[in-house]
Amino acid sequence: MTAPGRTEVLPVIRVRDLAMAYGDVDVLRGVELDVHRGEVFALLGPNGAGKTTTVEILEGFRKRSGGEVSVLGTDPERAGEAWRARIGLVLQSWRDHRRWRVVELLTHFADYYPDPRDPAELLSLVGLTEQAGHQVDRLSGGQRRRLDVALGIIGRPELLFLDEPTTGFDPQARHEFHVLVERLARDEGVTVLLTTHDLAEAERLADRIAMLVGGRIRACGTPAELARRAAAQAEVRWTSDDGTPRRERTAAPSQLVWELHRHAAGPIADLEVRRPTLEDTYLHMVHRPADGEGGGDGAEGMDTDARHDVGQQVPAT
Amino acid sequence: MTHTTNSRRAGLRRGGIELRHLLGNAKEVTGHLTNVAVALLVAAYLGDDVPGTQTPMTHLVLAGFAAYLLFQVGLINLPQILVTEREEGTLLRLRATPGGITAYLIAKCLLVVVLAVGTLALLLTAGALLVDGPLPHGPGDWLTLLWVTALGLLAVVPLGAAIGAVLPNPREALALIMLPTMGLLLTSGAVFPITALPVPVQQVASFFPLKWMAQGLRSALLPDSAQTAEPAGSWELPMVVLVLTTWAVLGFLLAVPLLRRAARRESGSRLTARQRKAAQSGAPVA
Repeated sequence: MTAPGRTEVLPVIRVRDLAMAYGDVDVLRGVELDVHRGEVFALLGPNGAGKTTTVEILEGFRKRSGGEVSVLGTDPERAGEAWRARIGLVLQSWRDHRRWRVVELLTHFADYYPDPRDPAELLSLVGLTEQAGHQVDRLSGGQRRRLDVALGIIGRPELLFLDEPTTGFDPQARHEFHVLVERLARDEGVTVLLTTHDLAEAERLADRIAMLVGGRIRACGTPAELARRAAAQAEVRWTSDDGTPRRERTAAPSQLVWELHRHAAGPIADLEVRRPTLEDTYLHMVHRPADGEGGGDGAEGMDTDARHDVGQQVPAT
Repeated sequence: MTHTTNSRRAGLRRGGIELRHLLGNAKEVTGHLTNVAVALLVAAYLGDDVPGTQTPMTHLVLAGFAAYLLFQVGLINLPQILVTEREEGTLLRLRATPGGITAYLIAKCLLVVVLAVGTLALLLTAGALLVDGPLPHGPGDWLTLLWVTALGLLAVVPLGAAIGAVLPNPREALALIMLPTMGLLLTSGAVFPITALPVPVQQVASFFPLKWMAQGLRSALLPDSAQTAEPAGSWELPMVVLVLTTWAVLGFLLAVPLLRRAARRESGSRLTARQRKAAQSGAPVA
């Protein structure tokens, strides 16, 4: 393999104090990231948060205004063709090579790399063996994206960028795509940087998630850590004896359920404990004021209570 | 370096594949054949001699169309291909591939040269067989045909690449290139003797390569006796070399930084933005 041993100690992606400004507008400020080898790392954030800019700086397609960036031990701004060969890209907007046949395209792109994968094996890995002879034009959206993945990994990259890879997929295609990405990360040790709007996708695939809001990293951690961070309280729902739907927020759901049972004559109707989700954290981060420098975690409980109140007005089912 | 070797080989293979796709595309093949057919029809329709010579008008017109075909491949076909492939993301894909841009340029050169030389050969062969068209006489004329073709392509291909690097999108591109090209076709003396035109028009046309490409090809295809119909009374080959070389140098000076800029500017978000714009303007997005 092309991986020199020295990169083992460094994170695959290391970003320190990254800044980007277009004229007077700050798009990124003080972004810090570490992505480790073999990790699936998701970058979440609303549109305009700076996700695309960050990723394009890491891909070497955009010059940053300040800060330090190292991708596979090299500054992307000064990286050459050998570095390119170690990186794979899957973009959502690719519609290229429409006249080419699938296998023809894969075989051609294998030509550029020193140690490419076998096109036939790759086709079976991404589930396109039956479409090998088809013209690229005739593939469905999901097939096209899997072909893009195949092209992205044909050179055995150490790092794969996936840019909103499942936009417009049906649930089945999305599931197959997730299985493929998991296999690449788990079995082949490929480091993956995923940008997505799909929280369930991030939760399912990512080892760690960073939330980029207003040009800053607002939170970073495993999906479970992030979920806990915003909404430390779980929600318990049940139907009381008089038939009223009830819900309550508590930091100790088990305690609440125990209390309920002790005071109840029999089983509790419609009992449900809802753990805080990544979505809670996401919405919480996104709605926090963009410049909240010292905001810290103090504000979080308040926000959660507000959500709770809104929730109370909706009849629970 | 292995990357350089890989990308050269990949570029040649890529050129071959693109050529095969082009030949397999009925619409494009028809387009190129129509050009040749139109030239042959116009040539066949003309019965007279070039005024003041014993050379048939057919010969002058076929030499002019031959020059125009080269001109068109460089300044219409090539920019269109470049703009389309920029928009579809082909350029970005190759930028993200080690050695991809080198391979892309090699492939495009190969494609353009084969396309230009192929249509030229077809036009001259079909012309000779069907409408008694001109062919070079003797090795000197063949040599002239060769170098005028080569220098003519050098004058228009880099220029076409530069244009393809800056034009906004395939739909506007065609409109922007077609008008000036047609204007030059009519004013460069390609399809009728340039001396029939007012002198100021002749002077404007002589700034552009088409007039000199046509004149150079006439010198290869027409007998020397036809020189009397030229504005200067001679083929002016040194001037042909000078003007075409100037355009070639100018084209390279423009194309290298503009192509580099175009490749550097490609990124996923720009591609998405362009495609969104294309979708809004009602262009077919497949």
